[in-house]
Amino acid sequence: MAYNLQDIKILLVEDNRGMLHLVKAVLQSFGVGQVITALDGDSGFNEFCRHNPDLVITDWLMTPCDGLELSQRIRTDPASPNKFVPIILMTGFSEERRVISARDEGITEFLVKPFNTRDLYRRLYKIIESPRQFVESEDFFGPDRRRRRVEDYNGPLRRDIDENRDGPISPDDIVFR
Amino acid sequence: MDIKHYNQKPKRKAKFFNPPNTLKAKAGSGGLSEAILDRSQDLLENHTVDFAPLAEIYISQMRDGITAAAALGKATDSEEAIEKILMPCVQLKANGTMFHYPLVTRIADRFVQFMEVVERLDEETIDISNAFLTALTIVISGKIKTDGAKHGEALVEELNRACMRYFEKHKLDIEKKK
Repeated sequence: MAYNLQDIKILLVEDNRGMLHLVKAVLQSFGVGQVITALDGDSGFNEFCRHNPDLVITDWLMTPCDGLELSQRIRTDPASPNKFVPIILMTGFSEERRVISARDEGITEFLVKPFNTRDLYRRLYKIIESPRQFVESEDFFGPDRRRRRVEDYNGPLRRDIDENRDGPISPDDIVFR
Repeated sequence: MDIKHYNQKPKRKAKFFNPPNTLKAKAGSGGLSEAILDRSQDLLENHTVDFAPLAEIYISQMRDGITAAAALGKATDSEEAIEKILMPCVQLKANGTMFHYPLVTRIADRFVQFMEVVERLDEETIDISNAFLTALTIVISGKIKTDGAKHGEALVEELNRACMRYFEKHKLDIEKKK
């Protein structure tokens, strides 16, 4: 038995056309049936409302509307057809404060660029096999931010951890203090 | 042990939801085979998209950010000024390796780590920024699509040492920021 991704619809939002085509090709090589694309957060949200995809993969740094704003709109806009949809954020940032801000906008998984196909697959697998429960409070709506704690984080030495880590940092890798 | 903390009523109300896992229902079980992942990786490693034109745009934006900061003639702690230099470099870091320029990613990664910590742009940080900019420009214009072997290693180490000298000199400021 193996995954059959033929019925899965993914929205991919990325302003770098080269990267957009590359990630789209990788998803198609995974067997994903439909990959819808958009070049920024605004058109990404329109495509999201039109197609109601099963998963959103978005870049962070885009203009005029970036990946975090897109995520916030998906989670809170009354026009959003599915505020629970999993969202993977692709970015060159890996610093803790950046990951925290992404997590606070309702991102499900964080994929640090550059990445390889196994990094992308690991995120996809995690979303399929271990979905996060959602939380709604006065000031937050999104995937539960408390799924796991990392105990070996030692503040200033975080980059030693970064350099020795296996894969990209994820919202799960953040320690709450 | 003081257990009062654990006996408090929750201060904020939160609702929890477990949405249906439609992805799982559609995908089934078993994951993807190693053969599929290998084929996908080949695709990622052997594409022919030319990154140089886009990289030159990022380099130019980075240069504009450095020039604007230098033109102030005094140190600034403006986040906006820092981000004008940092953001194009984040793009270089993110895209370099994915478009066959691993040395661009290595150099840009060092600079991003440096810029994420500095508190202000002054003469020293601008000098360091210019050194990184020059290194990145050489790699892109020279189309150096490898890790640069020994020369690449030496270049990254030298840039790293410049950052370390800065951190050593400004240790107190950085400690305070932590």
